[in-house]
Amino acid sequence: MTEPIVPDFQKLASFIPPTIGPYVSEADQTFDAETIFDYIDGAGEVYRSYNMKILVARRFHKDGKPDIVVDLFDMGSPEDAFGVFTHDLDGEDAEVGQGSNYKAGLLSFWKDRYFLSVYAEEETAETKGLVFELGRRIDGAIPGRGETPDLLRHLPAEGLDTGRVRFFHNHSVLNYHFFVADTNILLLDQKTDAVLADYGSKDDRSKVLMVAYEDGGSAAKAGVSFARAYMPEAAEKGIVKTENGKWTAVRVNDRYVVIVFDMIAERTAAARLDAVVALMNGRADRMQEE
Amino acid sequence: MMSRKPITRRDFLKVASVGPLAGVLVPAAARTGRSPLPRQAEEKVRVVLVRDPSPLGPGGAPPAEVVQRMLDDAVRALLGERDAVKAWKTLVRAEDVVGIKTNAWRYIPTTPEVEQAIKRRVMDAGVTEDRIAIDDQGVLRNPVFQKATALVNARPMRSHHWSGVGSLIKNYIMFVPRPADYHGDTCADLATLWDLPAVKGKTRLNVLVMFTPLFHGVGPHHYAKEYTWEYKGLIVSRDPVAADATGLRIIQAKRREFFGDDRPLQMTPHHIQLADTRHHLGVSDPNRIELVKLGFEEGILI
Repeated sequence: MTEPIVPDFQKLASFIPPTIGPYVSEADQTFDAETIFDYIDGAGEVYRSYNMKILVARRFHKDGKPDIVVDLFDMGSPEDAFGVFTHDLDGEDAEVGQGSNYKAGLLSFWKDRYFLSVYAEEETAETKGLVFELGRRIDGAIPGRGETPDLLRHLPAEGLDTGRVRFFHNHSVLNYHFFVADTNILLLDQKTDAVLADYGSKDDRSKVLMVAYEDGGSAAKAGVSFARAYMPEAAEKGIVKTENGKWTAVRVNDRYVVIVFDMIAERTAAARLDAVVALMNGRADRMQEE
Repeated sequence: MMSRKPITRRDFLKVASVGPLAGVLVPAAARTGRSPLPRQAEEKVRVVLVRDPSPLGPGGAPPAEVVQRMLDDAVRALLGERDAVKAWKTLVRAEDVVGIKTNAWRYIPTTPEVEQAIKRRVMDAGVTEDRIAIDDQGVLRNPVFQKATALVNARPMRSHHWSGVGSLIKNYIMFVPRPADYHGDTCADLATLWDLPAVKGKTRLNVLVMFTPLFHGVGPHHYAKEYTWEYKGLIVSRDPVAADATGLRIIQAKRREFFGDDRPLQMTPHHIQLADTRHHLGVSDPNRIELVKLGFEEGILI
C-alpha cells in the first residue's frame, strides 16, 4: 500500500530558486483548492478540475523590467500533473521537465506530480532567457519522475498526433477541448479518467475519446446515455453519419467507453474502435511511451 | 418526468453556417428552445461604440481629457442629449449614493482615467463626493456601496478562462461572498447576480472598456500581451447584455483576423445569450441592437 501524499508548502517552495539573474523574489503566496480563486479568479476551476492540492506563487521583480511569475502546483498525482499540462498544448516544445511548451512569455511543464507555469509579464529576449533558466532550475530541483495515465497506452499509434493528447476528468473540460453536448451525457465526474486524442492531419482530423469508469456497469450506463443523446437514430448500432458527412461511433468495452469522432468512413470508424479495444485487451502492440 | 433533449455537437454542426456568432452562441440558443436566427422587427436597444486614435499611455488608456470626451460623446449619443452633464442628470439624481463598480484586474484594469471621467460627471450631476465610491473587490464592505442607490458599471473586455469572456455582466460577481458559487456550467447564470438586492435595478450606465481588449489567454493568469491589441474604444449602454454582446462580436472578429479561422473561444460565453433568453436581463441579438458608432473607423471590426 502506498503512502498518502501530503502536500507541503515548504517543500514546494524549496524547488523554486530565490533569485534569477538580476531579479529578486517577493514573498511567496500560497493557495489551496478553496483559496485559489483569490489568486486567479475563475481560472482556478481548471486546476480544481484536476484535483489540485496546493499552489506556491513566487513573483520575481527587478525595477524597470517586466515581472516574472512562477506558479508551482502540487497536483497530488503525476496523472493530474500531466493532465493539467495537456489543458493547453499550444506553443513550442521547450524540452523542460517531462513535457513542456513555450509561447508568448509563458513556459509550462510537468514533472512528477507537479505542474509549473513560469511567466514573464512581457516577453523580451532577457525575460525569455530567464524564464527558461528558471524552468530548468526548478526541473532540476524536483527529484522524481511520474508516469503518464494508463489510458494513454490504449491509443493506437498509427496516425496519432502525440502533441494533441489530453487527459481530464469532467464534462466541462471535455467541452473546453471538444464540445460534445451541453449536458453531461457521458456521465463524467471527478472519478472518471478520460483521454481525448487527435488523429490525422489538419485537413483530415478525427478524434478518439476514451473514458474509464469505476466499473463495467457505470461504463455500460454511460455508453447508452451517450448513444441515446448523440445518435438517437442509430443508438442500437452505435455508429452514425453526422451532419458534417463524417462518422461517429461508440463502443463499450469492460469499464471503458470508447468513441471516435469525425472519421472519414464507416469502415475506418469501426477499425479505429477495433484498434483501441485490441490494445485494451492486450491483443496489439501498445503505444510506446515517449 | 421528461427531461429536455440535450444539445449536442450535431446541433452545432447543423447551424454552424448561420454566421460568425453561431459557434459562440448555439449551445445556449438551443438549450432555450429558441432559434439562433435573429428575431426581426422588435424594439432595439441602443449601444454606442466610441473610438479615438490618440496614443495610449503606459496604463493602457488614452489621456484623461480624451477619455472624458469619449465618455461624454457616448453618453450624449446614447441618451440623445446635446449636453453631457444634462445627459448625466437623467442617469443619476443629486440625492443618489453612487457606486462605480470598477475592475482592478492586474493586467487590464478599468483604468483611473475611465473611473475619474465617470466620477466627474456623477459629481456634475449633483452628487457630492462623499456619496461616491469606486471599488471592485471590496464592494461588500464598502459603506457607500452598502448604501448605494445607483451603480455605474465599468470594466474592460477580455477573454476568460472559465466564462468565455469577462465583461459587464460578470463584473458584479464581487457582490457575492463566494464568486465560485456562480461558476457552474461555465458561468451560465451570471445574470442572476443582477437580481441581488445590492444590485437589482440600480445600474444607470454600463461602460465596457475596449482600449486594449484581451482576445485570447494562456496560462494560469490567462494573459499574454501578445493577445491584446489597441482598439481604443469604449462601449456604452444602459443594457449590459447588449454592450457585452457587442464587445463579444469585436473579440470574435479579432480572433478571426489573428488566427485566420473562426476559432471559438476556449469556453463558450453562453452566459451572455442566457442573460437574454433565460434571465431577460437585456438583449443579446445583434439584430435588436442599434449600434451607434462614433470616432475613427479604421480597424473597427464591427
